[in-house]
Amino acid sequence: MTDELLVTRAQLGERAALAQLVARWRMPVWTYVRRMLDAERADDVAQEVWLAVVRGLPRLREPGRFAPWLFTIARRSVTDRLRGEYALVEETSAFGDLVGEAGAEDPAEALVDRAALVSVLADLPLLEREILVLFYLEDLPVEECADICQIPAGTVKSRLSRARRLLREHLKEKGYRP
Amino acid sequence: MTEEPRLSAQDMIDRLSPVLSLRTRIRAVAALLAGVAGAVFMGTLWWTEPGPLPGRTHLAFALFTVFCLAWAAYGGWLLTRRIPLFATDQVIAAWIGLVASLTTTAVVTVVAVQRGAGVGLPSAAGGVFVAVALALVVRAQARRAALLRRKHELTGREER
Repeated sequence: MTDELLVTRAQLGERAALAQLVARWRMPVWTYVRRMLDAERADDVAQEVWLAVVRGLPRLREPGRFAPWLFTIARRSVTDRLRGEYALVEETSAFGDLVGEAGAEDPAEALVDRAALVSVLADLPLLEREILVLFYLEDLPVEECADICQIPAGTVKSRLSRARRLLREHLKEKGYRP
Repeated sequence: MTEEPRLSAQDMIDRLSPVLSLRTRIRAVAALLAGVAGAVFMGTLWWTEPGPLPGRTHLAFALFTVFCLAWAAYGGWLLTRRIPLFATDQVIAAWIGLVASLTTTAVVTVVAVQRGAGVGLPSAAGGVFVAVALALVVRAQARRAALLRRKHELTGREER
């Protein structure tokens, strides 16, 4: 059953459809939240996300776009917890986006092993970590990542490029060889 | 990546159930309707009170009206921000609202007539409430019908 059908049924008030949506998206939401926050806060924030999802679901106008809507809510909850950290990195990221643009299409950086990715994610800066989680762990397309992070698609690509570079450097430091 | 969330899907649904419970929704709808109806009723009594009133009575009427409006605002806030009303709930709530508007209008008009005040103002005010409630019924029905149509389309597409 597609997400759109499940969301439509949930919007009609079918409790079973809502339960199925929670069951289907619980892990992806938790994975995103956990990669952005420590274990202590991850469960609380994941619950907060689902509460906001249930409250907002009747007002969701495009059931076909459930995933980006869900991650936008998740991002908002995470941002609330990391407000200070986000403000700091947003200020310093503008220059980095310009620098990163040049190498955005480097095919050598295209593949990243998921397990290796998870093992070093916590060492990466917030914005780069976030974009890797959304793009690689959640398998969201660039356009949806752009919607969720409220940045242009070009910035997503440059941020991804920079994130891959940082990731590779961290992997090398840890002795990982692709 | 062996780490797992502490809450299972069932735990999560259990934690969401207070927000989804029927009782919570009924309470919110009741607060809104009772608040609005009470405020209208108080306003009518105040307006139709014969003869000049002492200041203390004016204050009492004003306080009762504000009290009712506060309940209405609380119910409205619950329904728009805290408690999800799904399409079917919205249809039921809109019909309850329509019945409550009609009843309040009838009661207020009768009170105004019995007290010798004109029926113009209560009927006009009641008419506005009934019109708003009717519009909400139409909107809720249309939204539910659209969702049902989409559900059948998507179900048909998946079965093919």
